[in-house]
Amino acid sequence: MAVALNPRRAAHPARAPRVPLRILTAVPICDGHDSAVTTINIELARHGIEVIYLGYHQSVSAIARAAVQEDVNVVGLSSYNGGHIIFFKEVADQLRHSGNGDIPVFGGGGGTITKADERIMRRQGTDRIFFAGTPLKDIMTIIQRDYARTAKPNAKFKGDRSLARAITLVEQNLSARRPPRVIPARRQGRGFVVGIAGPGGAGKSTLIDELTSRFLRQHPTGRIAILANDPSHPDTGGAILGDRVSAIYAQDDRVFFRSLATRGSLTGLSAATPAAIGILQQSGEFDLILVESVGVGQESDPFGSFGQSRRLTDAVLFVLAPHYGGLIQLQKIALLNGADLVALNKCDHPMARTAQAEIQARLNQNGRGQVLHSTTAARHFDPGVDALFAAIQALGSARGRTGGAR
Amino acid sequence: MSQLGKIADSVDRYNRFVAAEVARARSDRKFAAELRARWAALRASVTMTRSPTGTPLPRLALPDTDEPGAIAEYLFGQGFPGQFPYATAAYREMYLDHETGTGEEPMRLFAGLGLAEDTNARFKYLSRHQKSLRLSTAFDGPTLYGLDSDHAGVLGKVGEGGVAIDTVEDMGRLFAGFDLTRKDASVSMTMNAPAPVILAMFIAAAKRRFGAGCVPNLRGTIQADMLKEVQAQNEVIFPVDASLRFLCDMIEWCVPNMPRWYPVSISGYHIAEAGATPVQQAAFTLSNGFTYAGLLQARGADINAFGPRLSFFLDCSLDVEYLVLGRVCRRIWAIGLRDVFGAGPKAQILKLHTQTSGRSLIAAEFQNNLTRTAVELMLAYMNYTNSCHSNSADEPFTTPTEKYALLASHGQSILLEESGLFKHTMNLFGGAPGLLALERQVEQRILSVFREMDTLGGVIAAMEQRYQRSQIQESGHRIETQIYSGERPVIGLNKYVSDEPMPSVPLARTSPKKQRLQVERLRAFKRRHAKTAPAALQRLAHVARGGGNVFAELVDTVEVCSLGQITACLADVVGKFRPMV
Ligand code: B12
Ligand SMILES: Nc1nc2c(ncn2[C@@H]2O[C@H](COP(=O)(O)OP(=O)(O)OP(=O)(O)O)[C@@H](O)[C@H]2O)c(=O)[nH]1
Ligand SMILES: [Mg+2]
Repeated sequence: MAVALNPRRAAHPARAPRVPLRILTAVPICDGHDSAVTTINIELARHGIEVIYLGYHQSVSAIARAAVQEDVNVVGLSSYNGGHIIFFKEVADQLRHSGNGDIPVFGGGGGTITKADERIMRRQGTDRIFFAGTPLKDIMTIIQRDYARTAKPNAKFKGDRSLARAITLVEQNLSARRPPRVIPARRQGRGFVVGIAGPGGAGKSTLIDELTSRFLRQHPTGRIAILANDPSHPDTGGAILGDRVSAIYAQDDRVFFRSLATRGSLTGLSAATPAAIGILQQSGEFDLILVESVGVGQESDPFGSFGQSRRLTDAVLFVLAPHYGGLIQLQKIALLNGADLVALNKCDHPMARTAQAEIQARLNQNGRGQVLHSTTAARHFDPGVDALFAAIQALGSARGRTGGAR
Repeated sequence: MSQLGKIADSVDRYNRFVAAEVARARSDRKFAAELRARWAALRASVTMTRSPTGTPLPRLALPDTDEPGAIAEYLFGQGFPGQFPYATAAYREMYLDHETGTGEEPMRLFAGLGLAEDTNARFKYLSRHQKSLRLSTAFDGPTLYGLDSDHAGVLGKVGEGGVAIDTVEDMGRLFAGFDLTRKDASVSMTMNAPAPVILAMFIAAAKRRFGAGCVPNLRGTIQADMLKEVQAQNEVIFPVDASLRFLCDMIEWCVPNMPRWYPVSISGYHIAEAGATPVQQAAFTLSNGFTYAGLLQARGADINAFGPRLSFFLDCSLDVEYLVLGRVCRRIWAIGLRDVFGAGPKAQILKLHTQTSGRSLIAAEFQNNLTRTAVELMLAYMNYTNSCHSNSADEPFTTPTEKYALLASHGQSILLEESGLFKHTMNLFGGAPGLLALERQVEQRILSVFREMDTLGGVIAAMEQRYQRSQIQESGHRIETQIYSGERPVIGLNKYVSDEPMPSVPLARTSPKKQRLQVERLRAFKRRHAKTAPAALQRLAHVARGGGNVFAELVDTVEVCSLGQITACLADVVGKFRPMV
């Protein structure tokens, strides 16, 4: 039944640290059957794989775009509402036509995908179908056996894929404890880089998405990049990187979105982040680059706001929600001193009024003229987010970067 | 904050009340005498019948006791059928005397495939044997997501898994030839985010056929339960607050204008099929129901007006808890509505539709699915569900083909009409010690989920924290690991497996030709209304922006606009839903 895992690796678990496989999973358009894919996601992460989950009801172009930007080893589709023969073909075609045909597509859909369908689908570019009743263990074994590949530089890659591959190479070298091949060059270029930190669940990702929508609306031709850091599982090394699910405005070719797993780094950022920022900056493509750190504690300083070394980003936005505890906790949050911009999010919450006053008072102590932005990111068209976006742009121009304002 | 803690407390309080009444029955002579007299009268009201082999039987089975404590226990704890707290049943008599022609069949088969005329033909096929007209509509993916059949990239899904409906004209074709104004006609629609648009099309199509006066006679159910969409079924288009507003607009319009219509079906089916345990299913579904009741009350609606128009929909699978799930839900709902929401008797009754579990049906040796469904049907009817859908054995592969849909329908007929289990005597099983023990356990576990959600701030706050979704996903993952470790036996999959190759089953798929035909029809409709549609959409946007009742406007908009046009217009006003993992 089960295919044996690579025996050498099993015998030497402490050998060279593994470079995690990266898989993009998604459910096709007009389909909300996500129970299978969420089960597969959990299982993949348990097996040390990094899953970039795009969500359900996803179009061919959203899937292809994500596969390219995330530079995944393989795309896994879970389809139940029919039309799979066409849909899988269109994903494979779109990848191939954009010069990314090296990314295979596989998937499943229980009994709705028949053996006869599979024969057609394989002819039309689908790599493999996992039929109903395939034990999870077999699925994992096959994936680890057939889709683990070392990423190599490829001069043929164009556009977002070449950026994505450069980032992958940095990640891969770091994971393999090799010195990074790409030395982050001095950051230059016009893009304004903003680091976004704050406690877990404060609304960083939601805010970033709302800022993205402002950017796209106000700059009809510019591009924005987002680096979303999320923690790897400390034991398995796998991760479910789900930020793309909620990033509804990232579904646009003018947005470059890359999910980064921390892979053991405890700073709140993947060790590849500095180089990734450098790569994006050097490309000269982006007017605004937003970097989300994982949820941080009171003393964290993921973007180096205080240290002697160069700051990692042009500016730091600290986001918090009204549930920070109380005045004492507020005093202890170091980034409230270091941040250039501070946003109190979830202002729809009843505790927000008190929080606003407390935080503004805390900022006044710093004597840096920091203004508190009150936002409700969960609401579209929130004027607080408008003001925050304007402040980011103003800061960008003041620092001599475009920040999108051309 | 949330009412869930209060509701859990009210159920506990009620249980203490029952215990106290039992004790009083045993100590207070006067009370004991009253109870005995009441009991005697109730018993006397039960008439006798006979089985075909001559065995005399009561039409209602009651505990065989004269002991006042036991009487109190039954009357207050379980409730005489049709009486508070409704654990036994919503009504005094159900399923009896099928042949003699009283009552409507509980069978209600969910169907939808291809274009409107294909589903219409399927409806005719399935309702051939029915006395009353009970239709239930499945829509295809694009319709469920509010997209037109000509939307980029959806052509392959048109007519798959349900019927494609883009316009009021499709709706007309869907029900052609059925007299929807008949007293015993009832139409159900599994439609959620775009429910207000689809119901408006239904009303508009009915008005075209039967005249404007038909609206109050229209009877049926539209699912429209947006909370469980966010939690489990994933058909959400607009942000949560806007989705709930559109739903409440529709309910408020329907209550006075369509008094026979159920404008929401609060559903656990999708929650369970996504992987939830029976207890999670019941807890999330009931708490969603209480949330709607609270929202509508907060908008000023009268619980006694809208309460009776709320309906419920549960899954029934093979886990033992399903023996009692419907009973326990009816009881908690009744107590909560009475004691926390102040509702009168009509609003306290949880009206239940049940569907057997699709997820329990598997591809390997799929004929076994007939047996699985039969067992589930038995459990569903033991819970006195008001209506029931039975899945077809070809469920894992395809929209049911005629052959298996018919077998599924016959399964219900065999249980209710051929077998004597439900025909002669109401409540043959209620009150069995095993059931009672299970009911108590299940009820307590549901209440503890309520309390947990209460600490999170209630249903909507819990939802924002991904509570329901992560619970459901975890349970779903557990089921699959249990199956593949063998801990959960599945015959033909991990136990008693034969070498039979995967069968090749006939499929009900929609041909590309039909899919293109649907697009042509839609485009013709859009062309015909190209002049009038923009103004209609503007009026709709105006109402949506101004906070008026969107549903009242939609009934006019659908005359000239397609589903996709309307969805896009509303999304411009309220924005799009931001999904969660
Ligand atoms: C659960 C379920 C639901 C749940 C979904 C809950 C959720 N959030 O996922 C609910 C009740 C909400 C639902 C709703 C609907 N459903 Co449904 N549903 C099912 C059901 C019963 C099981 C699917 C499932 O999750 N199985 C569990 C998984 C883990 O196992 P599996 O499918 O065997 O998959 C295995 C492999 O294929 C593999 N695999 C699967 N995907 C992937 C992906 C990758 C990357 C990998 C590596 C492996 C892999 O992993 C599994 C392990 O071996 C099927 C019927 C059935 N019995 O299969 C119908 C079914 C898929 N549904 C169907 C339909 C029509 C619908 C609706 C459109 C009905 C309607 N008209 O309203 C809606 C649409 C909902 C939506 N938003 O899109 C049809 C599809 C028909 C068709 N294609 O012709 C089916 C086949 C039922 C039927 N016969 O009518 N459904
Ligand atoms: N009520 C309310 N909820 C919000 C708001 N902004 C975000 N949320 C919700 O808060 C939850 C967490 O939001 P995220 O954007 O994922 O928060 P995050 O800071 O990125 O979280 P991590 O990356 O896990 O640290 C989600 O359920 C959001 O929908 C807001 O303004 N008001
Ligand atoms: Mg985040």
